[in-house]
Amino acid sequence: MSAISASAAPKRRTFGELLTSDLRALPVVVALIVLWVFFALQNDVFLTPRNLSNLLQQSTVVGMMALGLMFVLLVKEIDLSVAAIHGVTAVLGAKLIVEYGVSAWIALPVSILIGAAIGTCSARWVNWVGVPSFVVTLGLGLALNGIQLLLLPATARYGLMGTGVELIAQTTISGLYAWLAWAVGMGMLGVLILSGVERRRKAGLEVSTMNSVIVPLCAAGALGAVAVLVLNANQGIPLPVLIFAAMLGIGGYTLKETRFGLYLYAVGNNDEAARRAGIKVPRIRMAAFAIAGGVAAIAGIIASSRTLGVGVFSGGGVGGGTLLLESIAAAVIGGVSLFGGRGAIHAALLGALVIGTVQNGLNLMGVENEVRLIVTGLLLVLAVSIDKLIEKLTGQQSF
Amino acid sequence: MTAAQEAQPVTQAATASSSVPLISLRDIKKSFGSVHALRGASVDVHAGEIVALVGDNGAGKTTLVKVMAGVHAADTGEYEIEGQPANIRTPSDATSHGIATVYQDLALCNNLDAVQNLFLGRELTGSRWLGRRIHRAESEVRAREVLTRMRLGSLSLTRPVGAMSGGQRQNIAIARSVLWKPKVVILDEPTAALSHSASQQVADLIRSLADDGLGVVVVSHDIHHFVVNSTDRIVVMRLGANAATFRSKDVTGEMVVNAMVGGNEGVNLAG
Repeated sequence: MSAISASAAPKRRTFGELLTSDLRALPVVVALIVLWVFFALQNDVFLTPRNLSNLLQQSTVVGMMALGLMFVLLVKEIDLSVAAIHGVTAVLGAKLIVEYGVSAWIALPVSILIGAAIGTCSARWVNWVGVPSFVVTLGLGLALNGIQLLLLPATARYGLMGTGVELIAQTTISGLYAWLAWAVGMGMLGVLILSGVERRRKAGLEVSTMNSVIVPLCAAGALGAVAVLVLNANQGIPLPVLIFAAMLGIGGYTLKETRFGLYLYAVGNNDEAARRAGIKVPRIRMAAFAIAGGVAAIAGIIASSRTLGVGVFSGGGVGGGTLLLESIAAAVIGGVSLFGGRGAIHAALLGALVIGTVQNGLNLMGVENEVRLIVTGLLLVLAVSIDKLIEKLTGQQSF
Repeated sequence: MTAAQEAQPVTQAATASSSVPLISLRDIKKSFGSVHALRGASVDVHAGEIVALVGDNGAGKTTLVKVMAGVHAADTGEYEIEGQPANIRTPSDATSHGIATVYQDLALCNNLDAVQNLFLGRELTGSRWLGRRIHRAESEVRAREVLTRMRLGSLSLTRPVGAMSGGQRQNIAIARSVLWKPKVVILDEPTAALSHSASQQVADLIRSLADDGLGVVVVSHDIHHFVVNSTDRIVVMRLGANAATFRSKDVTGEMVVNAMVGGNEGVNLAG
């Protein structure tokens, strides 16, 4: 081969580059810390284990919704029907249990499958007819709201007390069992990290034990341990929080480690390039919508378990209400791009925590609900603006 | 005698080596409704040869390239690969016959790094039960091997390609095309929108592919620099058919442009 002038050796990445890639979550983490310090100074109750446990529980439903929605946002689409799916599947599950006497063990999985099926239908419509997803899912959401109302009885509510569904929200894992859950999580993370490191070693690649093993394991272990300590000081880990943590783990693995995860990012950034690379783009889109639908249904079950019933209010009420807006806001505040191809799994957690913190902190301060909405809205605009400002100031595009 | 008078267009047979062409398209016709994009175009590509396909806008070069790459199926005409008739009707047909294409838009995902782009659609993965976990380490080793062989070893494997320069992105797109050991590489406007030095680097890279025994087809508008200086043979197309074929070393840019527009060789069209 003919010689080609050697380019410069790979440069160390600048802080600006890191801020737009690996450290993309830093501004949100800083914002979260600032919010926590502010609310802790305003009210002594804010940092008590009981309140922090409440905050986590309050953030779980929005966090789950944001997690599911994230898959759709990654492929540069949007699903405005997730709140309606959340509501209609919760009502359907409750109807099956209360009116038809179906076991919760059957009714709840059926609800989740129907949620995923509704998502698949939206994607099929988007793929085949070519109608933009925001139009399809907006219309579908309204239609599902109508179906939700039709499914409800004359009393407009199904109570779930005594059906077993309420146990999901009421169950806590405390004491040694909480630490066992922590150990299982850490063990799985450890196996994942060590197997990756071992592969790199076998392939003859350089591996920094400090950066690749010790730092991520210690950071995750310490964060998890603090969470378990705080929650154990109250009543233990609420089951919904544990389910959300497991979903974050599975979601993170899917996005970061698997071929499907990679394809979500590829399709979101350049669907034509993905198609030419042989990726079945419509199938990837369909899977993303199905996940969003299924996860919205799981969130619906958790919410109905907390409220001990379903009704017109399930799924945020007609039009999705604040549930839909907060779910989208949580994903975006956490760092998921509305333009596709960008966002990591922690976005759902961080975004939901920011929104949950504002809600919880302002409630403790006795501030009206209206103010909470104003603050959440402004935070959303601020988060996207900071993102854009970082891009402008560093001259780097976020990926 | 002037240079223009010395260098007469030559036939493909005269320029081709005695070996069987890697790919040979004969009398290809392709219409889109009432528009006849190709009216009987032909081109041969031999191992170790860089063939430039040039022509004015609408001359049919892009359509011919798309027929080669399987994006469009020809209406009539013969398509042979190493002397054997081939039925290339889809891009995957072309890929499976060892024909790789680098499109003008490069078809890269800006949010993915070099390794992810190189292997996109053909990742090295593990068991289905683990959700097809990507074997990043093995991919990285393979990517580094290919890039080093192409003298591109200093390219970052972990930066998103969107943060790279135009030349580096072009290099990654070319590296991706040769990763799976094709016989022929088709490049659509590889030097468009590149600086002079980046263009030269890409030209050197393309030459290295030919030196490795690959057949290379290049569509380019950069007649005066890239086409004349960096290719072996120039196939000029006009109105969907072959207008002339030149040995690159025998011609000047003005002569090629003249053949493209069907003008007088004596007129300087170099601009």
